Amino acid sequence: MTCGIIPSLRRVLRLGVTVVTMLLAGWSALASDAVLDAMQEELDRSVEMLSNQPIPLYFLSYEITEERTTYSRASFGALAGRSESERRTLDIDLRVGSHDLDNTRPIRGRGGGPRLRFSRLQAPVSDIDALRSTLWFQTDRKYKEATEQLTKVKTNIQVTVQDGERIADFSAEPRQESVENLRSFDLDLAAWEDRLRRYSAPFSRSPHVYSAGAVITGSVVTRWYVNSEGSRIRTSEPRVRLVLSALTKAEDGMELPRYESYFAFDPSGLPDDAVVLETVNGMIRDLEGLRNAPLAEPYTGPAILSGRASGVFFHEILGHRVEGHRQKGDQDAQTFGRMLEEAVLPETFSVVFDPTVARLGATDLAGTYRYDNQGVKARRVPVIQDGVLERFLMSRTPIEGFGRSNGHGRKQAGFSPVSRQSNLFVEVSEPRTQEELKQELIGLLEQQGKDYGLYFEDVQGGFTFTGRTVPNAFNVTPVVVYRIYADGREELVRGVDLIGTPLTTFSKVISAGGDVEVFNGTCGAESGGVPVSAVSPAILVSQIEVQKKAKSEVPLPLLPTPSGPASEPQTLRAGGVL
Amino acid sequence: MTPRFLHIIPLLAVLTVTPATAQDSVLMKAMRDELERTMAELQLRDMSKPYFVAYRVHESKSAQTTASLGAVVNRGAGASRLLSVEVRVGDPSFDNTNLFTRPDFGSALARAGTPTTLPLEDDYGELRRRIWLATDSAYKQALDHLSKKRAALQNLTQVEQVPDLSPQEPHQYDDERQLSEISVAPLEALALEVSAAFRGLPDIYVSEVEIEAASRRVSYINSEGTSFTRLDPLASVQISAGTQGDDGTALEDSVSAHAHVWEQLPDRATLLALAADLAKRLQQFRAVPFLDRYTGPVLFEGQAAAEVVRQVLVPRLFAVRIPVADDSRFARAMERAGNPFIDKLGSRVLPRFLNLVDDPTRQDHEQTALLGGYAVDDEGVAARETVLVQRGILKTLLSTRNPVLGVPESNGHRRGVGPAPSNLFVVPQQGLAADELRSELLSLVQERELEFGLIVRRIGNARGRVSRGRGPSSSGRQGDRSEIGGVVAYKLFADGREELAGTLALAGMRESDFRDIVAASQTSSVHTAQFVGGSSSAFGFAGVRHPVLVSLVVPSLLFEDVTIRRPSGNIPRPPLVPHPLAGG
Repeated sequence: MTCGIIPSLRRVLRLGVTVVTMLLAGWSALASDAVLDAMQEELDRSVEMLSNQPIPLYFLSYEITEERTTYSRASFGALAGRSESERRTLDIDLRVGSHDLDNTRPIRGRGGGPRLRFSRLQAPVSDIDALRSTLWFQTDRKYKEATEQLTKVKTNIQVTVQDGERIADFSAEPRQESVENLRSFDLDLAAWEDRLRRYSAPFSRSPHVYSAGAVITGSVVTRWYVNSEGSRIRTSEPRVRLVLSALTKAEDGMELPRYESYFAFDPSGLPDDAVVLETVNGMIRDLEGLRNAPLAEPYTGPAILSGRASGVFFHEILGHRVEGHRQKGDQDAQTFGRMLEEAVLPETFSVVFDPTVARLGATDLAGTYRYDNQGVKARRVPVIQDGVLERFLMSRTPIEGFGRSNGHGRKQAGFSPVSRQSNLFVEVSEPRTQEELKQELIGLLEQQGKDYGLYFEDVQGGFTFTGRTVPNAFNVTPVVVYRIYADGREELVRGVDLIGTPLTTFSKVISAGGDVEVFNGTCGAESGGVPVSAVSPAILVSQIEVQKKAKSEVPLPLLPTPSGPASEPQTLRAGGVL
Repeated sequence: MTPRFLHIIPLLAVLTVTPATAQDSVLMKAMRDELERTMAELQLRDMSKPYFVAYRVHESKSAQTTASLGAVVNRGAGASRLLSVEVRVGDPSFDNTNLFTRPDFGSALARAGTPTTLPLEDDYGELRRRIWLATDSAYKQALDHLSKKRAALQNLTQVEQVPDLSPQEPHQYDDERQLSEISVAPLEALALEVSAAFRGLPDIYVSEVEIEAASRRVSYINSEGTSFTRLDPLASVQISAGTQGDDGTALEDSVSAHAHVWEQLPDRATLLALAADLAKRLQQFRAVPFLDRYTGPVLFEGQAAAEVVRQVLVPRLFAVRIPVADDSRFARAMERAGNPFIDKLGSRVLPRFLNLVDDPTRQDHEQTALLGGYAVDDEGVAARETVLVQRGILKTLLSTRNPVLGVPESNGHRRGVGPAPSNLFVVPQQGLAADELRSELLSLVQERELEFGLIVRRIGNARGRVSRGRGPSSSGRQGDRSEIGGVVAYKLFADGREELAGTLALAGMRESDFRDIVAASQTSSVHTAQFVGGSSSAFGFAGVRHPVLVSLVVPSLLFEDVTIRRPSGNIPRPPLVPHPLAGG
């Protein structure tokens, strides 16, 4: 399985306090909810009748995810796209058999492998009769699929080697009840479109910026969840993100992108115009610099990763390998599967996943939630303590030694949940200053006989492979990289990706800084895209490896930017918005 | 304001761009100015300059909503403006097009072949910038493709020398109407009301009503002096429902109504009646035991006749070019994708008493509006009547400026990426009255010593909501499918008695069966459907694929020999838990 993180959003820690205001929608904050009641009623009816069938149902859950999304995009000062949408996805987890062996057990051997399960079921929520009819009909279909699948699973067990057969397929979890207020917010789209125009317009000052955009996406995600263990959960959460992007090309055709993004649970949590416009100016400067920067060569040696780069680095090389279900699959490399209680990092390092922390300083954390997608309460999970691997991120799929969920069963609406990351925190007990890190790096240069080390200031994202059939490698894609020479001089370079294999790379992590940075992003894997955060200080690695970036062979545009003979004022913006 | 023709300029020089007219919109002006600069200046070192460049912009404001049982399931609205660029290098007899090669995903900046997003606002400078980058990218790809195509043909002798671009007189057309605003609110109100028709019907297991409306405009200019703007609005309602028969058989169907603007859709009462009729039909079929298998004469009436034409015959009417593949592994697949009707030009494909005509200029048929018409096609070729089949003989195919052997010129049928019909007429020269047609069926039945004949009154359109995986029917855009489901058939006995035979499937029907049509009715009925071009253009699969409307005017058709049987596949079991609103 390939996993990746993309930078839909990230923010350097800012001081100051932003007041988050949530507006209450029409519904009252009662613990009762007509949608939950209807789901409960249908669930009870199905459980009662389908438990008496020859192949009885033993677990049933319904989750409805309502997403109301508004989107707008501007490019070089002109509005370029706009949409709004509303959809309600229904997910049914219906299990026949028993906790020990049920219809969800992966089929091994030929024709097996991870099954990408995606459903496009939709459910209305504004009318109870309509909702119940939908639940009834889809439950019937799910039940028939499940019984069919259980037969296949049982046959498969007879004909294949089952080295993990004694491990159960599903954990029992305590009942949860929580009904949050329904939330909404007013994203003043007209005002935002005006801002997007102003944010994207300055890029046209640079003749070398070939594409530039500013995007605002606001959404309110409301989830209703009930299961046959008696859990009843309603969560409701607004989210807003502002993404700036721009791209230039070097003379040799290499495309050089820059991204900046901001995430918040309320529009008021986004930065003001002055901050954004300053960022835009910085991006333009960076792109001019990158265009003229020398090409970096393939290299191994010491490097400093900024907090953002380190966050993505830990997300890719550690995070995806402590997702519990990856210790179980017959196609998974199970890198850390047998390393429990062993030191995998220096003892000054700890790594914690904590979805209950909604904010760090003034930065909202995207990987926050109160309940996961399997009705399990979110909690803090220390994965590495003092350098030692202690536990895995768990969904309700047990693995050897870990029979219960720790609230990390996550998914995008329409997918089946697996264990996924939330907010990753890299914590260090002996932090260095930025200058100390740099001096340590320079010391390493002498030891290793290198002319320069690398500093990864900003990254675009990354990906990793955790399977057995491909090399178990990771790739972090930096966008701003400097060479640091022994005399302390810094030089901007372009054209490299940070690569490596997890265990080797981890053994080279030496020390870390004290100031943390936040990378808010969306992580994509087999259960879809889920919002995550990675919080880390800068780290020093004694040896990293970089390879040349894949490069476009398309040369620069042949004709110059059209200056336009006809800039009559009346034709500019004459037509207004479509 | 009504659309109007401006004028037709005689062909003066091949590479001229028409001068800006007073009516030029900001968008058209930006296209024209960048086209002028491109033709004058764009050249990579000493390589060929473009000999033909065209810009086509699809603007759309659209809204869509789905409701079930009086509750909204989803809704969305958006606006877009997409530019497709066609750049040709070489010359009309041999250029960079009609090549199948691996797409190049190398550049994030402007992917040649994929539409470019233009600003929604009339910002001249930004429009020029986007057009400039897209043109640059398309030109470089064109040079690359031309050399690949030359290389692929280096060691082959082309048996058929067909040019890559057919000649065309320049032509201008300007529809000055503006795009209208599309709001989701009235669509939603209508969807809620119509979908509520299924409330209180627990024996209908699933139902939904989807309404979409789009205000669309195409603006086009090419380096030969052709330009046009054309409005293509679209609105449709689709009402779907499904249930299972008493034995579990999946029963599904959907009915739709189309119009250019959503206010012209049938009124609430009519739509509610359509929904009620659909529900009644499904309820009625629940208890009917299905006919197992029948082979013999079949009379297709009304919608069923139009649908069998649309699903089986229409896919054979396109002049589709088989591209040169630069990888021999693809060459065979390309050959298979060809249209066998290209070899039938001049041969008999229908009985002698049938003509087949496509006419985008017709507005109506006996007071029923035809919705497939247009003034110019997507290459700016003026719409005209095209006789495809005359007295049973295939004369030509629906063509674009991408010629095929035997169809050297465009007859104005480029809609989207490839050719598509507009208003398609099956015209009987000697039609029978309804009772004569039934007698004809019965005489064939007698001749075959069958117990009864079959009349097919509807070919439904299931959306796979009830049966898992494949539905009992499909929307059917491709020809040569092995099974067409949702066939509502009635037995006709010698004494004139009719009996429902169930919802069945047409097995192995092919275009060659149309030659054996025995008779047709005097009168024809009109059926309109959405069509999304499936075939590729000279530029591969590039382009904007908006659905277009096609109206079919088809008489009832009596086929000599058709096989109709139960839909294939196993029958699911009926629901185990009773419907929540079934009472008791």
